[in-house]
Amino acid sequence: MARFHPLRVTDIRRDTRDSVVLTLEPPADGREDFKFIQGQYLTFRRVFDGEELRRSYSICAGRNEGILRVAVKKVDGGWFSAFANDDLKVGDTLDAMKPMGNFHAPLNPEQARRYLGFAGGSGITPLISIIRTVLAEEPKSSVTLVYGNRGAATIMFREELEDLKNLYLGRLNVVHILESEGEIDLFSGRLDREKCDALFERWVDVRGADYAFICGPEPMMLAVAGALRAKGVAEDRIKFELFATAQRGKAKAPAPAGQTASSARCAATVVMDGVARSFEMSKAGQSVLEAAIAAKIDAPFACKAGVCSTCRAKLVEGEVEMEANYALEDYEVRRGYILTCQSRPLTDRVVVDYDQ
Amino acid sequence: MSEDEIDILDYLARGGKLSAPDNAPPRYRAELLRIMASFVDSEFAGAAGFADRINDGPGVKERIDGARIVFEKLEHGERVLRIMGEFGADVERYQSVHPWAARIGRDDDIGTTRRSGDMRLNVFHYPFAGWTDSVVMNVLMGHATVIQLSDLANGSYQPLAQAFGEILRGERRHAELGVEGLRKLAMQGETARGDISKSVDYWWPRVTATFGGKASMRQELLRRFGLRKRSNEELLDQWRGRVGPIIGDILKSLA
Repeated sequence: MARFHPLRVTDIRRDTRDSVVLTLEPPADGREDFKFIQGQYLTFRRVFDGEELRRSYSICAGRNEGILRVAVKKVDGGWFSAFANDDLKVGDTLDAMKPMGNFHAPLNPEQARRYLGFAGGSGITPLISIIRTVLAEEPKSSVTLVYGNRGAATIMFREELEDLKNLYLGRLNVVHILESEGEIDLFSGRLDREKCDALFERWVDVRGADYAFICGPEPMMLAVAGALRAKGVAEDRIKFELFATAQRGKAKAPAPAGQTASSARCAATVVMDGVARSFEMSKAGQSVLEAAIAAKIDAPFACKAGVCSTCRAKLVEGEVEMEANYALEDYEVRRGYILTCQSRPLTDRVVVDYDQ
Repeated sequence: MSEDEIDILDYLARGGKLSAPDNAPPRYRAELLRIMASFVDSEFAGAAGFADRINDGPGVKERIDGARIVFEKLEHGERVLRIMGEFGADVERYQSVHPWAARIGRDDDIGTTRRSGDMRLNVFHYPFAGWTDSVVMNVLMGHATVIQLSDLANGSYQPLAQAFGEILRGERRHAELGVEGLRKLAMQGETARGDISKSVDYWWPRVTATFGGKASMRQELLRRFGLRKRSNEELLDQWRGRVGPIIGDILKSLA
């Protein structure tokens, strides 16, 4: 089960008009837990209006700098990002899980590697961590960063990147691509396929690169990856980290059943792959999963013991009782998620959705 | 951000990759967990079955190889189980939730169906009939695992794809050790080769069944999710083409 630790905010630095960089300090007994690998992220939780929200932000510090930093860019309607930008104060605490994520390649200080980084907007944050770590710990390696933004004013970590270039002379090369500004055609516009092809033709030599790290919005990531592949960069050398804009909407609590249970049978509806199918089941015998499978629905499952969470679905109507639950966390249960292999209906009607 | 946002399924269908559980859409998450559970269960069940045969190895070299295979299969399973843990699976409990060493009767026929209980591939439900039999199974299934994993190692969930890529090296070695062991057995004479041949007849259809049926809805879904690239039939053909000649050579060249 996920464990949260309180991190104290020791510094808040405004980076651009709509982003802040937070420096955080783990509790004395949690220092080991917060050692991280470059490119990992922290997941924070906070209760807004009685509902728990979780948000993940990439760590933007080098592995051995001894500090924990994240950058939070304000997004429209984003509760957490607005809170971090407007209300958070030095001395406050934030609950966070220990670092997670796999957006990295193992370091080798002996090797002289060539890294490519591609960032779109706030997709820069994990790359800052990777760049700082690689430059410090692989003294013979170099990094070329292609960094796309709307305009100069929205470039996060702009100064920091300049400082790094000066600190590690000749080992960090930054190419800024700006959508709305820029005098040279090659460096203005969006980071799309055409732009990448042009850059790789005339400015950035991608052949022989050891690793390419891409973080940004989906279309940009696809465009960059496509252009890299076309230049012969091997698939396993291209690392993706999806941009963190996918801020999910607030989940509705399951609708109350309306009436108390009366019969021994339940009318069940299962939604999967966009199709709703209904069948009748006993409240006493099979689990929702077993009944769905008996009704020839190819519902997902694995362990059938409430452990693996493969059979997770959302209960959108009715009530069920879960016999065992070792895989869902309280906040997921509050949002209506159930393990269908462990659930038996309590109401005369249940609707379960595997697509949510 | 509207022009930046495309459907995540579209992103996957166009070759995009994911690297964190939070980005996985629900159905994708379910299929990914199924793939992982099937692998973990197969490795744990495979290791449990083979562990019992180590003492049957004719010499210390064979027992060392057998022990190494068992050790590494457990390690491979554990590695993927840790990724399941990042999706919420209870890793500690999972390890003891199924009786990994349990087997059905030698002559029961379960085809491609899953048994209730764990998600191990059908082939790992059958018991061995001695050392030679276990080596034959290891050769046939070892090559099948390598081919099946090679496809999964291109999957769209990068942490798993990477783990499979690394696991693949170990599994490849297991299959090679099997071939080496089988060659040695075949050199013992006609009786030994007869036993090998009988075991091949037993395991061949059972390993064939691990490749699954012809085109199914699920296969199509997995392909759209970028979790699978090649069809069951393509993989099966590749296996036949690879393992057929190996067995043929071992039995023929020495006969």
